[in-house]
Amino acid sequence: MDQLGRRRFMQGAALGALAFTVGGAQILLTPREARAQGVALRTLRQPEAETLAALGETLVPGAREAGIVHFVDQQVSVPPEEALLEARILNVRPPFVNFYRAALAAVDGASQAQNAGKRFADLDAGAQHAFVDRMRQNKIDGWQGPPGSFVYLVTRSDAVDVVYGTVDGYAKLGIPYMAHIAPTARW
Amino acid sequence: MATHEKVDVAIVGAGASGSVYAAVLAAQGKKVVLFEQGPDWQLSDLISSDIWGRRIKPAAGPFILEGKHPVSYGNQGGWGVGGAALHYFANFPRLLPNDFRVKSEYGRAHDWPIAYADVSPYYDKVARDVGVSGDAKAEEIWRPAGDPYPMPPMKTFRNGDVWIKGFESVGIRMVPAAVGMNSVEYKGRPACIYDGWCHVGCPIGALANPLVTYLREARKAGAEVRPLSTVTRVLTDASGGRVTGVEYYDRSGEGQVQEASVVVLAAWAAQNPRILLNSATGKHARGLANASGLVGNYMMTHFASGTFAIFDEDLENHMGTTGAQYMSYERYGKTSHKDAFGSTFIVAGFALKTNDLGGIANARLDLFGPNLDAFMRRAARGLTRITAFGEELPNIENRVELIGDKDAFGMPLARMTHTYDKDVEVVWNANIEEGVKAAKGAGAKEVWSARGAIPTIHLMGGTIMGTGAGNSVVNSYGQTHELPNLYVAGPGIFATAGASNPTYTIFALSLRGAEHLAANWKTLAG
Repeated sequence: MDQLGRRRFMQGAALGALAFTVGGAQILLTPREARAQGVALRTLRQPEAETLAALGETLVPGAREAGIVHFVDQQVSVPPEEALLEARILNVRPPFVNFYRAALAAVDGASQAQNAGKRFADLDAGAQHAFVDRMRQNKIDGWQGPPGSFVYLVTRSDAVDVVYGTVDGYAKLGIPYMAHIAPTARW
Repeated sequence: MATHEKVDVAIVGAGASGSVYAAVLAAQGKKVVLFEQGPDWQLSDLISSDIWGRRIKPAAGPFILEGKHPVSYGNQGGWGVGGAALHYFANFPRLLPNDFRVKSEYGRAHDWPIAYADVSPYYDKVARDVGVSGDAKAEEIWRPAGDPYPMPPMKTFRNGDVWIKGFESVGIRMVPAAVGMNSVEYKGRPACIYDGWCHVGCPIGALANPLVTYLREARKAGAEVRPLSTVTRVLTDASGGRVTGVEYYDRSGEGQVQEASVVVLAAWAAQNPRILLNSATGKHARGLANASGLVGNYMMTHFASGTFAIFDEDLENHMGTTGAQYMSYERYGKTSHKDAFGSTFIVAGFALKTNDLGGIANARLDLFGPNLDAFMRRAARGLTRITAFGEELPNIENRVELIGDKDAFGMPLARMTHTYDKDVEVVWNANIEEGVKAAKGAGAKEVWSARGAIPTIHLMGGTIMGTGAGNSVVNSYGQTHELPNLYVAGPGIFATAGASNPTYTIFALSLRGAEHLAANWKTLAG
């Protein structure tokens, strides 16, 4: 990497943080902190954020509070070669936001078609769980978008990342993190 | 386009194979330039995190992935200096003699134009060069004798040891895995500390990635690395009889020409044919080195049969390496499994992390919500896994071909089509069944296999070696049959895939090719 790129990268990685824009300035926050501080989203629209938060929470309890929405939003807003999303290694073609837009629209479209116009985020927890269970098996009639099983794989990976892939996540599971080069902030 | 002063060697790709060529030729005093699409990673860039570790893999390649079993390109590929060998697991099994004579002995696929005995000395040389830990004597129950490894086997942990009894119960002998890692300090590089982050890059240099082995030697000898430089074509002279250099785009997107006496394509199995096909001229209408029409054909992968088990004890499954602690060639015979053809190579004992494709959470992809959380807590200390790698035979229908869409440099994207045959399904299933038996024999509390789509691991083929232009693209040194000063390096030149992790063989074949080129420089470079 060139020196400027390396400095930015190391700064972010060492803090375990991502660059979020607050008040016109870029600051480094964990996705959990960005959510807690109500940092404005850069790319995702509010309905998409609501759907992603609900989907993430259904997939992995704690994903909402861990900042899945701010994590994905920040990641789809940077150049693809800088993105840290699992979508990157699952051969999703950049720009990654196109995939998320299509996936979240498919979730809400199917939810509304099957639940008297209710979006996914408005379903109760039991209905959300049942929906995701059918989605992962490609068993939702009239689904329009990327295959449900792939949407499940990618968004579940995002939720796993923010909940279990952090230093805090390891600690909650009782697994020593043991980094060579640590993301010292706890995500 | 600006034209740079002619150099001796232009190497396209600064990964495992390109760095070997660079080290050998720079040491001979040749002026060497390596071109790499991605950044110039340093050890200090290698953050211990599965999330940050994705930065050293390609953000979707220039390939449209098709077929019934699309190649897992993004996860397998590398992006930046060091290539995929920056995040490889450094398992160092070698191919065995039966891999080189598949046609002669079984009437299937191809023979290699060389035998095991031709490659074996290079396995031993590479082991000394980069440092290999293992027990060569123990392996010799399955292969011809060679030199001992320079380091003793790596430390083992309960997550590997726990499998031994189970494998014995199904008649499989396990031996210490040969790995390109330091069990003790070696050549000034420290011993491994077993914290299991190999797969996102080892920043202490205990694992033999190119940055601390051949590429370091190449740079010391004066080789230049040009990062963020994307080669789009290999150029030829007016007669079409020799290559003259490469066309590339630099970090600012400016087109450049680098003239060179010799060009080595070392950009991985899929990108090498893409460049050759895109280098078509009036004299080479179907692409360079492609009179046979075989460039891009015979793409191969390995498939992995994974078995998971939870034991009722603390296995320290966060400890160890991402590579293996134990390995076995017991099922390497091509007809080891009834009614199917192909070798199997078995490994056991890996450090597990929580997330990413190989993480604990993906051991039960069907689980989500509270059930996933309960599983994560159960598996956090008691989960372990074994993997059986299987051999896919070369199939001409599995191929890379250019399509109409173009990338940012105006270079056509490529379609990579890949579908397994019936033999693969049978061997995959047989290995899963045997893995489950081994887990039960080991006394596991919960046992399951990784079913679903058959995975694709390790990319090979596309520019295979052979005896002539009628059956192959390159000779056994990687020299193209049609253009004497154009070489191809890496797993793309494998004639068949075997079942062993490929990088040790990539290093060995590259060393053999580079030494041959250096020894015959006057004739070959012109």
